[in-house]
Amino acid sequence: MLAFLARRVLVAIPTVVLISMLVFGLQHLLPGDPILVMAGEERDPEVIALLREKYRMDDPIPVQYLAWIGNALTGDLGTSLRTQQPVLELIGEKLPVTLQLALMALVVAVCIGIPAGVISAYRKGTWVDWLANLVALSGLSVPNFWLGIMLILLVSVRLGWLPASGYAPFSDDPLRSIQVMAMPAVVLGTGLAATLMRHTRSAMLGVLRADYVRTARAKGLSERRVVIRHALRNALVPVVTVTTILFGELLAGAVLTEQIFTIPGFGKLVVDAVFNRDYAVVQGIVLCTGVAFVAMNILSDALYRVLNPRMGEVA
Amino acid sequence: MSALLEVRDLSIAIAGAERPLVDHVSFDVAAGETLCIVGESGCGKSLTALALMGLLSDPPLRRIGGTARFRDRDLFTMPPRELRGLRGGEMAMIFQEPMTSLNPALTVGDQIAEAVRTHRACSPAEARDRALEMLRRVRIPAPEKRLEEHPHALSGGMRQRAMIAMALANDPALLIADEPTTALDVTVQAQVLDLMVSLQRESGAGMILITHDLGVVAGLADRVAVMYAGRVVETGPVAAIFDDPQHPYTLGLIRSIPALSGERRRLVTVPGTVPTPATMPEGCRFAPRCPFAGTDCRAAPPLAEIAPGHRVACHRAPIEEKAA
Repeated sequence: MLAFLARRVLVAIPTVVLISMLVFGLQHLLPGDPILVMAGEERDPEVIALLREKYRMDDPIPVQYLAWIGNALTGDLGTSLRTQQPVLELIGEKLPVTLQLALMALVVAVCIGIPAGVISAYRKGTWVDWLANLVALSGLSVPNFWLGIMLILLVSVRLGWLPASGYAPFSDDPLRSIQVMAMPAVVLGTGLAATLMRHTRSAMLGVLRADYVRTARAKGLSERRVVIRHALRNALVPVVTVTTILFGELLAGAVLTEQIFTIPGFGKLVVDAVFNRDYAVVQGIVLCTGVAFVAMNILSDALYRVLNPRMGEVA
Repeated sequence: MSALLEVRDLSIAIAGAERPLVDHVSFDVAAGETLCIVGESGCGKSLTALALMGLLSDPPLRRIGGTARFRDRDLFTMPPRELRGLRGGEMAMIFQEPMTSLNPALTVGDQIAEAVRTHRACSPAEARDRALEMLRRVRIPAPEKRLEEHPHALSGGMRQRAMIAMALANDPALLIADEPTTALDVTVQAQVLDLMVSLQRESGAGMILITHDLGVVAGLADRVAVMYAGRVVETGPVAAIFDDPQHPYTLGLIRSIPALSGERRRLVTVPGTVPTPATMPEGCRFAPRCPFAGTDCRAAPPLAEIAPGHRVACHRAPIEEKAA
């Protein structure tokens, strides 16, 4: 397993390098000039020239890239052009927020999506299957912002059960933190639950017809045990892959949902940074997200091998 | 001998289809006896076995009639929970495909121990000991090691041995083996069959062995039921079936066994093909392929006893002339 992980990490390095080049290159294709934004209303040519030199904006792009990636390797992602805060510090502030939201949303998605997928596959063609599919389709088609607003109206405004917005750090007050995050997590989670449900259902449909499921029944096991221990265990292999990719997406931040519930996470940070042409911040965040994705992929492969012992001997 | 299992008029159909795939099939199995069910692919052998175990995929396959009494309990009317108690306990089944019949995600030991724990109150350690004992009994080399391995690490023959170990772990009174050696190499086939028979002799269990291999039938069967297109066409003691076959289909099957000695000749075959459910003829289903068929074959022949224990469903029986 260790050798496998080591090899996967090595293979991931060129991927990360490519991501960093894309991030850097695309950023410079964006219209707009951060120096003009920084220089303010007057646009004094001297100030502009000074700023250009300070941020080495006149260097060729490959040189800029090498400088940036060199610093990034030492943990320095530059400073925000706008707030002068180190980018790493900004990310460090926002990451726990987004991580908590992503984890809670994932819990919601898994708790709804997987059981719903199992039940609808097991009861294929019955009203239960229909209902589950209908709900899943609605989950996929209802926009998050609409669901978010409706939830705020119902749960916060009408019923007054949960706060409508804000953020409380988990380390200060875990209970309150979970309460505040509950609604956004549900909004994000239900959309993902629909995707998970569809994947679980199709994987289960295949597995339920397998010979070993028949063997399990022939042993006299209860249906519950047949479905969970023998069928679901094997159906989970593709579902785990989807789940880790979904989690990677969640880590990139949920722009709209964070906006609606005014959660100070990655999504908000990146939107602000793009509008301000805050190159360093955008690059830092996108690079982090890219690395997170690659890491999720490695994790997914590792889980794959745990769930599917046959993979062990291939590597 | 009182029957361990009595099947009467078992019929199975696909939901919505007119003609049944298995049509009024009846047979008995006594304790310690081996009944071979013989027939071509698609004749309903496996469906019959699955129906007895309550494992027909439902829908679309449905049992539409008949009874099956196992130790004087009706398999088809007992509550599902009671049937589950029998399955893998008193009644066990071995399947055709050892490669896919074991769960790839669980170790061999876990899967056998699970069968043990489902049917008896014992600790995980005791179940594990029993699994190890069973792997020894089916003569798997290095059983301690195999216990911890996943099925993919085992060869086909070993997997089938593991399946046999699992099926026999609870000392079943009836073992149903559905073409247990078809997927194995010829050399391994004989080993696995020998093993099954010796274990059956030890335990005195009744066995239904489903096969299309007449060599296997001749070697192992006490009694034989020949199935054709969903019906039993001939049944009797193995000696009677081989020495004095009375149904033209049985006759054709036996004559199509290639001889090892003597003059080399073209392989004898039964002309024509098995009718599909849609083209099933009225009356005797073998009539279109039968050299002896006449107009009376448009009526279905009853399964009539022509000698003690030897029954045949043919208007022409007893066939006087065997040479043709």
